[in-house]
Amino acid sequence: MAVYERTWRRYLGELTPLRWRWLVVTRYALADAFASRLFTAFYALCFLPSVVGLFFIYLSHNMSLLQQLGMPPDLMNMLTDRFFMNLFSWQAIPAFLVAVIVSPSLIAADLSNNALPLYLSRPIDRHEYVLGKMAVLAILLSPMTWVMGLSIFILQAYFEGGGWGFENYRIGLAYLVGHLAWIVVISILTLAISAWVRFKPVARGALFAIIFILYFFAQAVNAVTRTSFGDLINLVRAMNSVVMSLFGAPTPSGLPVSLNWFTLVAVTALSIWLINRKLRPHEVVR
Amino acid sequence: MSQPESPITPAIELEGLTVNLGGRPILIDLCASLRGRAIGLLGPNGAGKTTLLRTLLQFFPTTNGSARVLGFSLENEGKELRAQVGYMPENDSFVAGMTAVHFVRLMAELSGLHPEPALERAHETLFYVGLGEARYRKLGTFSTGMKQMVKLAQALVHGPRLLMLDEPTNGLDPPARKRMLDLITDIRDRGETQILLSSHLLGDVESVCDEVLILKDGRIAASCDLEAERSANRSFVEVELQTADQRFVDELTELGCELATHDLGRLKLVLPEGRTVRDLYEIANRLGVGIRHLDLKRDSLQDIFLRAMEGDNGGL
Repeated sequence: MAVYERTWRRYLGELTPLRWRWLVVTRYALADAFASRLFTAFYALCFLPSVVGLFFIYLSHNMSLLQQLGMPPDLMNMLTDRFFMNLFSWQAIPAFLVAVIVSPSLIAADLSNNALPLYLSRPIDRHEYVLGKMAVLAILLSPMTWVMGLSIFILQAYFEGGGWGFENYRIGLAYLVGHLAWIVVISILTLAISAWVRFKPVARGALFAIIFILYFFAQAVNAVTRTSFGDLINLVRAMNSVVMSLFGAPTPSGLPVSLNWFTLVAVTALSIWLINRKLRPHEVVR
Repeated sequence: MSQPESPITPAIELEGLTVNLGGRPILIDLCASLRGRAIGLLGPNGAGKTTLLRTLLQFFPTTNGSARVLGFSLENEGKELRAQVGYMPENDSFVAGMTAVHFVRLMAELSGLHPEPALERAHETLFYVGLGEARYRKLGTFSTGMKQMVKLAQALVHGPRLLMLDEPTNGLDPPARKRMLDLITDIRDRGETQILLSSHLLGDVESVCDEVLILKDGRIAASCDLEAERSANRSFVEVELQTADQRFVDELTELGCELATHDLGRLKLVLPEGRTVRDLYEIANRLGVGIRHLDLKRDSLQDIFLRAMEGDNGGL
C-alpha cells in the first residue's frame, strides 16, 4: 500500500536498546556537520599534518627512496622527541579548530529552537543528551589526534625495531593521554559555551576570547606577582605543560604538573556545572 | 519489566503530588486516578496544567507525593514511562534546519524505532496529519498551523500509549482547529492511545474528552467523568406558561419532577430519569395550559467549570 494511503497506527515493532539511544543524537549531529562540503573538505585537510608525519617516517626509513629523491640519508636523525612533540601540536591545533567550528551548533541550535522538551520527553535524559553531543566531538577529533598519533608511533616502532617502542613508550602514552585530555577539555568547554551563547559566531569568538584573554591575564598576573600562579588560569599553558610532562620534557609552566592537571580538571568541572545549569527541558523565566 | 495492561491500569495516578518551583508551591497535594480515553486538563492560566504535564514527563522533580503514568512510577521508571508517551509541547519546538520528515524521523528514532521503520512511519504520520505534500520542506518555512501539525506528528510517530497534548489548538484558525480536534478525536476513537489534553478552551476539552480534571491555583478544583455526566445527565427545563396554573405544577410533582422555582407562571424543574419534554407537552395539552417558552438545558462543562472556579474546593 502506498504510504499516503496508510493511516496512523500504533507501532508494535522491535525497539533499539535504551542504553544506546543517545547515539541517535550523535548520528544526526554528525550527519548535520558533514552536510557542509566546505566542512568536509576542511576536516580532510586536518589530517594533513599526520599524513605528512607518517610519510616522513616512512621516507626516513627508506634509503632507496631517499637516494632516488636525492635527499640526505640522515633524515632519520630528525625523528627525535622534539619531532613527535611538534607533530602533537600540529594535530591538536586543527582539532581545536574543528571543535570551534562544530560545537556552537550542537547545543545552541536546540536551545534556540526550544528542542530540549522534545528530546527529553523521550527515553533519553540530560546526561545522555550531553553525552550524545560530546560524542560528536570525540568521534570527529579522535581520528585526527590520538588515532593518527598512535599510528605514527607504531609505524616508527615498526621501522626502528630493536625495542624502540618499549624504550620510547612515553611517546605513545603522550599521544594517547595528551590528546584524550585535550579532547575532553575542549569538548566540554565548547559545549558549555554552546549552551550559554546561542549565536554561532559569538560562540566561536567566545571560545577564542576565553582562551586568549585568560592567557594574557595569566601572563599579567605572573608579571605583577612575579610568581607562576597566573598559570592556574592559563588553559593553554596548563595543557602544554601536561603534554610536555607526558613526553618527559621540561614544562613551560612554573607550577608543578599536578597543578596543571588541576587547571584542566577545574575547567572541565566548571564547564559541566555550566552545562548542567543551562540544559533544562523548559525555559526558566525569572 | 512487564508492560502494564492499559484497560486495568489508570492512565494517570496522582497520590498527594506536590511540586515546588523556586520555593513556591505550584502543584499542591494532587490526588486523582484518571482512566478516561481522553482526559482533559482544564484550568485558568497559571493553574498548573503545564507544570503537571511536565512533572509527569519528569521535567520537574516532585517535592512530595508520587505519581504513576500508565502504571510506571515517576520515581524510578522514568525512561520506561517516557518510551510510552508522546508529548506535544505548547510552544514552538523544533530541531533547527531540518525538513519535516527528517525531524519526525529523528524523533521516532529517539523513541526507539530503527532507522528504516522510523523513516517509513515519519512519512505515514505526516500524511496522517495532512502534511504529506510539505514533508520535504524545512520546518522554518512552516506556518503556525503547519508547525502545530508537525508537533502532533512527532508526538504520534512512535505510536505512544499516552499522548500528552499541551494547548494543541493554540494559534490555529477555525478550519485548522477543527482539523486538529478531528485528528485527536480519531486517535481517541481508535482506542489504542489514551489522550491527556491540556487546554484552557472549554470547547476543545468538551468536544474531545470523556474525563476532566480541573485545576485552580495548583489544586484540583474538580474532577468529573464527562461521559457519565452526559449519559446520566439530568435535564434542566425552564418553562414559561401563558397563565399560571396550579394543576400543571401538581401534575409535574406527581410525575416526579424536582421543581426548582415555585412561581406558577415561570417554572424551573429537573426532569426525572426516563421522562422527556414530550411528557410536559402532553400534560399541558391535557390540562389546556399554554406553554409560551420552554428551554431544555444540560449541565455543560462550562457549568461544571464555573462551579469549580467559584468554590474553594469544588469537588463534584
